[in-house]
Amino acid sequence: MSVKVWVSVATALLAVLLVPPLLTPGADSGESGQVRSLRVLVPNAPGGGYDITARTAAKAMEDADLLRNAEVFNLPGAGGTVGLGRTVGERGNGKLIMSMGLGVVGAVYTNKSPSSLLDTTPIAKLIEEPDIVVVGKDSPYTSMQQLVDAWKANPGTVTVGGGSAPGGPDHLAPMLIAKAVGLPPKTVNYIPFDGGGELLASVLGGKVAFGVSGVGEYRDQIQAGTLRVLAVTSGDRIPGIDAPTLRQSGVDVEFTNWRGIVAPPGISDTDRAKLVEVFTRLQKTPQWAEALQRNGWTDAFAPGDEFRTFLENENKRVATVLKDLGLA
Amino acid sequence: MTTDTAREPEAGREPRGWFREHSELGICAVLVVLGLLVLTDALRIPTDFAQRGPVGPKAVPVLVGSLLLVVAVLLARDVLRGGRGEAETGEDVDLSAPADWRTVLLLCGAFLANAALIGVVGFPISGAILFWGAAYALGSRAYVRDPLIAAGLSVLTFAVFNNLLGVPLPGGPLMEVF
Amino acid sequence: MEQLLDGFATALTPTHLLFAAIGVLLGTAIGVLPGIGPAMAVALLLPVTYGMEPTGAFIMFAGIYYGGMFGGSTTSILLNTPGESAAVVTAFEGNPMARRGRGAQALAAAAIGHFIGGIIGTILIVLLAPFVAKHAVDIGAPDLFAIMVLAFIAVTSVLGASRIRGVASLLIGLTLGLVGLDEMTGQQRLTFGSLHLADGIDVIVVAVALFAVGEALWVAAHLRRKPFTPIPVGRPWLSRGDLKRTWKPWLRGPVIGFPFGAIPAGGAEIPTFLSYVAEKRLSRHRDEFGKGAIEGVAGPESTASASAAGTLVTMLTLGLPTTAVAAVMLAAFQTYGIQPGPLLFQREAGLVWALIASLFIGLTLLLVLNLPLAPLWAKLLRIPRPYLYAGILFFASVGAYAVNADIFDLLLMFVIGVLGFGMRRYGLPVLPAIIGVILGPAAEQQMRRSLQLSDGSLTGLVNSPMAVIVYVVVLVIVFFPLIRKFLPKPAPPAAPARDREEIDA
Repeated sequence: MSVKVWVSVATALLAVLLVPPLLTPGADSGESGQVRSLRVLVPNAPGGGYDITARTAAKAMEDADLLRNAEVFNLPGAGGTVGLGRTVGERGNGKLIMSMGLGVVGAVYTNKSPSSLLDTTPIAKLIEEPDIVVVGKDSPYTSMQQLVDAWKANPGTVTVGGGSAPGGPDHLAPMLIAKAVGLPPKTVNYIPFDGGGELLASVLGGKVAFGVSGVGEYRDQIQAGTLRVLAVTSGDRIPGIDAPTLRQSGVDVEFTNWRGIVAPPGISDTDRAKLVEVFTRLQKTPQWAEALQRNGWTDAFAPGDEFRTFLENENKRVATVLKDLGLA
Repeated sequence: MTTDTAREPEAGREPRGWFREHSELGICAVLVVLGLLVLTDALRIPTDFAQRGPVGPKAVPVLVGSLLLVVAVLLARDVLRGGRGEAETGEDVDLSAPADWRTVLLLCGAFLANAALIGVVGFPISGAILFWGAAYALGSRAYVRDPLIAAGLSVLTFAVFNNLLGVPLPGGPLMEVF
Repeated sequence: MEQLLDGFATALTPTHLLFAAIGVLLGTAIGVLPGIGPAMAVALLLPVTYGMEPTGAFIMFAGIYYGGMFGGSTTSILLNTPGESAAVVTAFEGNPMARRGRGAQALAAAAIGHFIGGIIGTILIVLLAPFVAKHAVDIGAPDLFAIMVLAFIAVTSVLGASRIRGVASLLIGLTLGLVGLDEMTGQQRLTFGSLHLADGIDVIVVAVALFAVGEALWVAAHLRRKPFTPIPVGRPWLSRGDLKRTWKPWLRGPVIGFPFGAIPAGGAEIPTFLSYVAEKRLSRHRDEFGKGAIEGVAGPESTASASAAGTLVTMLTLGLPTTAVAAVMLAAFQTYGIQPGPLLFQREAGLVWALIASLFIGLTLLLVLNLPLAPLWAKLLRIPRPYLYAGILFFASVGAYAVNADIFDLLLMFVIGVLGFGMRRYGLPVLPAIIGVILGPAAEQQMRRSLQLSDGSLTGLVNSPMAVIVYVVVLVIVFFPLIRKFLPKPAPPAAPARDREEIDA
């Protein structure tokens, strides 16, 4: 081999070794009060719920100078459990957090994921989004009571639509309602749709008897009067929506979809304290308040240990429902 | 389109020749295996609780699995009666030469090397190995030019994804040093 | 109309024009990148527009959307690696054309098809928005399932010379489509306990693996070593003959694409396939199909573009995203505090009409920018064969890896690529397998959804007028050959000897 070949190979090697590090901004130097370079794992695709939460939070943190450089990246798959597996696998990594929510709790069961959310280090619960029980404007049902009576009389033909796969929030809510009114979850005729949008079409077109979905996407239709909300699933009424809570309608269920942040297991106490601190401060910033307002989210901040207790309870509740259905 | 019967050696003299002649039966075997796999997988799905209505999660896999078996039998019959699938032709394909397995294996090696190394040495290196290896396998012998093109392409791709789009790719062993 | 003119006035200001141009360029550039479809392009570019005023941001998004769709078909034609699912069908004829030195024509047919489909689609938005808003929600699962049945009947025309081998290929595709969690009950099917398979196998992964990886391996086995001739570039523009063959497919595209885009769960894969089959049936050059028939590029591209326009109608008027891109754009609207839905046209009339006007402008810019580029792109294929195929493998690998950063996807692509190699060796056509992956899961879901909606009663499949009409069409197509036997024969159809094999299958 000639000299030229060696020069060429050496140049190529240098290029592939040296250029990438030079292209990437420097690593952490550990200042106090402000966290530098944090990686945020989003376990669903760009544009999804966890993605918007993560990117909004990262942006608000940077704007409020709580964080120098947040890198949000997506690792979608299996309802978020692929990302969960990665997070659990990064034991001790205090520079990684994952945005997640109720959907991941159910997905752990339906996907038979080996890693559980209880393995992670909970950092904070951030927001809540209540679900609504909704029908089209031509629907015969005008109150929750009417709907429940019809449903109990004929669970097969009173179909429920939801925007998530079995195990997801929109699936869990009707199952919990069914249990509360004395219908075995197995008899519920739940039809999953590809997200709230596709469900909306079926509710508007009267294809399903009623739908259960997050309130966010539906505000405009509700305002225009093409949708009728029979009840909201949260503990309190939602401003701007003229509907009682489930409890007020005589159904003893309280249910909200929530999103939060977890970190890998086994991170040091200082790292954990730092992350909890950053999110606690984020929650108080005007930037975050504005982001909540813009996205129609309810603030539901719960730091560290409080979030862990909440997570454990949610996990139990989801497991009970899914066991009844044979999914867990 | 030409039939590829012409290049099959017309040798019915010994069993080996017969198998070579009827190697398409291998496709039937693949279909049978696939069919059995789909059927066994489908039968293990519990339907007693989750299913609503006459068609549950089993029905379509059972149908597809059974059809795979039926088609495997029909294809075998066709092959034994002398039917032959026509190998695909193309501008870069020369069917008159026998299959060049060395090239194929080298190419597979380059592809799998990328998969094996990407997590270890990072994308810029494994990608360059993939490109250079594939070009070498396919007969490129420009020893000076090839590594440079491979490295350039790899680093450029890394920069576009990592820096412009914010889609991180593993950078390599020196990422932590700087 | 007046409002539309106002919209043009807004969109034609230099700043907005610049945004539209940047959007189109960015969209095309990112659409060309492996593994990044228009949905991801819009999502990744979302932060770019933070701080822009809404009108400018959406004008840019519209450009990115159309640009991304077009960029996907460029790689489909040149490298046989579709960048997004709407461009899978384009590869069927586009890549053979490129290999025969007609890459520039294929790209031009795609660009103009895109333009015409998009323009007609956008005109339909203006004219039909209220109508669509009212009736799109009437289309339900039974109707969609009926259309799937029709599509399965249409598959027979892509089965190739040997029916039995075509069916085998279709079944392989259906098997791949089964992998993943069952959408209705959440049961695992063919996942073998792997989380990586729980979401199923993406049609783009299958298409790139079967088309590009399979082909690279197949070429490696039988590489024509000597003499080295670069792929001829040929004349850069469409000839008069090409135009004669393409204008009808261009105009037919929107008829199929627009309604599909507008209905929930419609998307672009199935209409592009139906357009392909329709063009094949209607073409006078049917024998050229599979070897690079320009109609097979023009029709599906126009369809895909019109379907994108249809998607926007339902998103704007109902707030209902029917594709992944629309879902991302909906999220973008919401971050600006704008809620698409029935009140949007009243509340944000200025913005909506500016957006619609910018669609026209974006499409025109797309054509103006890309038509001259077509011959340049086509020259890419002149690089030496080893580099071309090495580049295709590189490109395919980056695409498979970048999205999920998972080695599993590379291995999956390899395994399906080896399958593609075997299929090429034994004359199993690749097309039916791709169609199987697209149609199988969709058909199963709609069928089971229909049955569940009717609580298990089989009447649930035929309880809508549209479904009944579609089934009648299916029956006519299936039994037409029989009926024809009893009619006086106009001329004996030229029956190729190969058809004899049909009886076997």
